[in-house]
Amino acid sequence: MGVLDLFRDGSADGVRDRNASAWLLPLGQDRVNHGLRADARRYDDTDELDAVIVGCGAGGATMLQRLARAGWRVAALDAGPFWDPDRDWVSDEAGSHGLYWTEPRVIAGENPVPLGSNNSGRGVGGSMVHYAGYTPRFHPSDFSTYTNDGVGADWPISYDDLRSYYGLIEGELPVAGQDWPWGDPHRYPHSPHPVGGNGEVFQRGAFALGITAKVGPVAIANGRFGHRPHCIYRGFCLQGCKVNAKASPLITHVPDALAHGAEVRPDSMVTHIEVDGRTRRATGVHYIRDGIEHFQKAAHVVVAGYSIETPRLLLNSASNAFPNGLCNDYDQVGRYLMVQGAPQTGGRFDDEVRMYKAPPPEVSTEDFYETDPSKPYKRGFSIQTVSPLPITWAEHVAGQGHWGHDLRVYMRDYVHWSCLGALCELLPQPENRVTLAEEKDRRGLPVAKFSYTMCDNDKQLIQAARGVMEEILKAAGATEVMTFQRYAHLVGGARMAADERHGVLDADCRSFAVRNLLITDGSVFPTQGSANPALTIMANAARVADRLTTTTSPT
Amino acid sequence: MVKRSSLNGVTPGGHQPRFPGFDVLSQTHMWDPITAGVVLARLGPHDAVRFFTPSEQAIARALLDQLLDQREDPKVPVLEMLDSRLVEESTDGWRYEDLPEDGQAWKQSIGALDKDALDKHPTGFALLAWEQQADIIQAVQDLQSDKWHGMTASRVWSLWTRYACTAYYSHPWAWNEIGFPGPAYPRGYKNATIGGREPFEVADHHQVDPLKQT
Ligand SMILES: Cc1cc2nc3c(=O)[nH]c(=O)nc-3n(C[C@H](O)[C@H](O)[C@H](O)COP(=O)(O)OP(=O)(O)OC[C@H]3O[C@@H](n4cnc5c(N)ncnc54)[C@H](O)[C@@H]3O)c2cc1C
Ligand code: SF4
Repeated sequence: MGVLDLFRDGSADGVRDRNASAWLLPLGQDRVNHGLRADARRYDDTDELDAVIVGCGAGGATMLQRLARAGWRVAALDAGPFWDPDRDWVSDEAGSHGLYWTEPRVIAGENPVPLGSNNSGRGVGGSMVHYAGYTPRFHPSDFSTYTNDGVGADWPISYDDLRSYYGLIEGELPVAGQDWPWGDPHRYPHSPHPVGGNGEVFQRGAFALGITAKVGPVAIANGRFGHRPHCIYRGFCLQGCKVNAKASPLITHVPDALAHGAEVRPDSMVTHIEVDGRTRRATGVHYIRDGIEHFQKAAHVVVAGYSIETPRLLLNSASNAFPNGLCNDYDQVGRYLMVQGAPQTGGRFDDEVRMYKAPPPEVSTEDFYETDPSKPYKRGFSIQTVSPLPITWAEHVAGQGHWGHDLRVYMRDYVHWSCLGALCELLPQPENRVTLAEEKDRRGLPVAKFSYTMCDNDKQLIQAARGVMEEILKAAGATEVMTFQRYAHLVGGARMAADERHGVLDADCRSFAVRNLLITDGSVFPTQGSANPALTIMANAARVADRLTTTTSPT
Repeated sequence: MVKRSSLNGVTPGGHQPRFPGFDVLSQTHMWDPITAGVVLARLGPHDAVRFFTPSEQAIARALLDQLLDQREDPKVPVLEMLDSRLVEESTDGWRYEDLPEDGQAWKQSIGALDKDALDKHPTGFALLAWEQQADIIQAVQDLQSDKWHGMTASRVWSLWTRYACTAYYSHPWAWNEIGFPGPAYPRGYKNATIGGREPFEVADHHQVDPLKQT
């Protein structure tokens, strides 16, 4: 490839050689390469695949593309549809309800965490279809919080094990942003986007207080990338990008996987992982497609169904050999589930901010990410712009207690408000977990029950983050501020650990109990940092795929 | 040239002090057809009420009018939108352990509201005067996380306001009221700066700081 081509197709390095997804999408106004999907490989249930993957989101689709590139016979089964952004997605908040996993789930504990639209997606592309698009790296300290600070847990891998994969995935999404000074300082393949009103407010307030704020990092190409067009700055990132500008595995990894012989089998809900009781090896998965039960044989089973559905599937896969649930001999499955404390603070300005006009992810600060010895709490938080659309904003306003006349008055003032969000590193705790509820879904499978209770450190962090956000907005000139409590980003529930008494997976994300069963979604995280998780989920999946394909050969 | 009709520029209650002349529907020709279909359907005829019984319907409508301060026509048909969602079991994908599924929780909670009304007044909730209804609702909110007829009051409150706000603020009339243009594909925005406006956006003509008005 010549230097000119590098400029023209928007790739910073040899991305196309290792992942041609962006070039396999159509040029012009269509968002789907229908021919690629129609001509893709289709396996029979009786074919023994090298690997079957459960869930085609962040962790699953990355595995699919890597294994297909390595010559493995591989299929990803997803419970949801094979999305077509032209036909299935709308530029509208309420109309995007179908993007979320809205099957029944029960929430409990002292601080129950709402799920569905607040947390998890369905269909090919997974939750990244409707994620905001922030893609920061974890900091090196995230991998050893127990050693450093006596809280959380140590990972069985270190930042160095992920470093090169971060770089690869940042190229493949691709990520745009300013040079990043925090954690392991690094640069991004695409330059930062221009910021909208909300981003300007954040920059102004941070500057006044001496807080460093940077534009990015967002997985939205700045300029054309392959056949993907430029962002049109329309603010509907959380409703699925109809433009193909914001990265999700649907457009960043699935096309290349299909071109390398992988199959994506949508509308296929996996109900049970089959294990040979004598050898304690997984033999394949049971799934339901259009009401019909199937069994797909495979030499490896890779689970990537999100931090709620992954533990639920393991618990629903109990058998004589695993009476308490698959891989659950030591009662570790579903435990140490984490969620970030994600308070959002709005500020009112006399000027019109009209925060809906730019992508919600614009500007961040990680100045408060690390443990500050002068504070009573350990670990920290990050702060980012978020730009809620009217329905979500109304929930904030109603959350302040406003209703009736007051609610309408506040809402009529929408164009004057700016909004920041924090991500606080809440600590992993054994009792924060998924178990099976009495209630069954329409297939007769027990649904997940998720219990969550915060510890004191968690509450202090959220309080501190709130204080900083309110200061930033006031420093920018806000005449009134209001903070709304919420949570974001579930990870953990089947964590990596040094041994089977402390977790479900080894450092290669193979389960201790069933050696040919791997997990590669966010469930594997022992801690969560204050970074949004998607980039780390993908980088880790790429690492696991490398480990698997170098230690095991396809059949 | 886009034709204007009585469908254009409608706001709930018919007042538009802040964004005079702003009309989300004047831009429908710029929307992609799939989005236009979904959004414009909200302006069309609604299914007959099926989930609620007639007496529940009356209570629920009064409650929703209160929560959203809808006193005068034209009103966003929030009750009809809620009823459809509950028939379709189109929930948010979770429920609190101590509350039943959303549909049942709605029925249970509006039944409780009627009981509160009958405890104090000769008629049920739906027939009470506006201020009397407001007092009963305020009492539920004031309970915060205490129990109300066996349910955690704050969780019932969250159920009510979540469904009410989702319906109301998905409606183009509500967008006219707040100055939000709605769908933005494939056009996008060109002036996303503080104080920046697109040609079809209307400046706030009557700033009222909500702190000073509520
Ligand atoms: C509103 C919102 C904004 C967010 N913003 C950001 C952000 O800015 N940055 C960021 O990094 N993260 C963000 N996230 C979180 C991020 O999207 C998720 O953490 C990430 O996508 C999770 O990846 P995963 O691989 O664990 O699961 P997913 O990507 O959710 O994939 C799981 C897939 O498995 C499928 N599945 C589940 N169970 C089964 C089964 N039994 N059989 C078959 N298929 C199954 C599901 O349909 C789904 O497609 C956001 C999330 C939300 C809700
Ligand atoms: S703002 Fe840009 S990235 Fe976000 S949905 Fe719109 S076009 Fe896509």
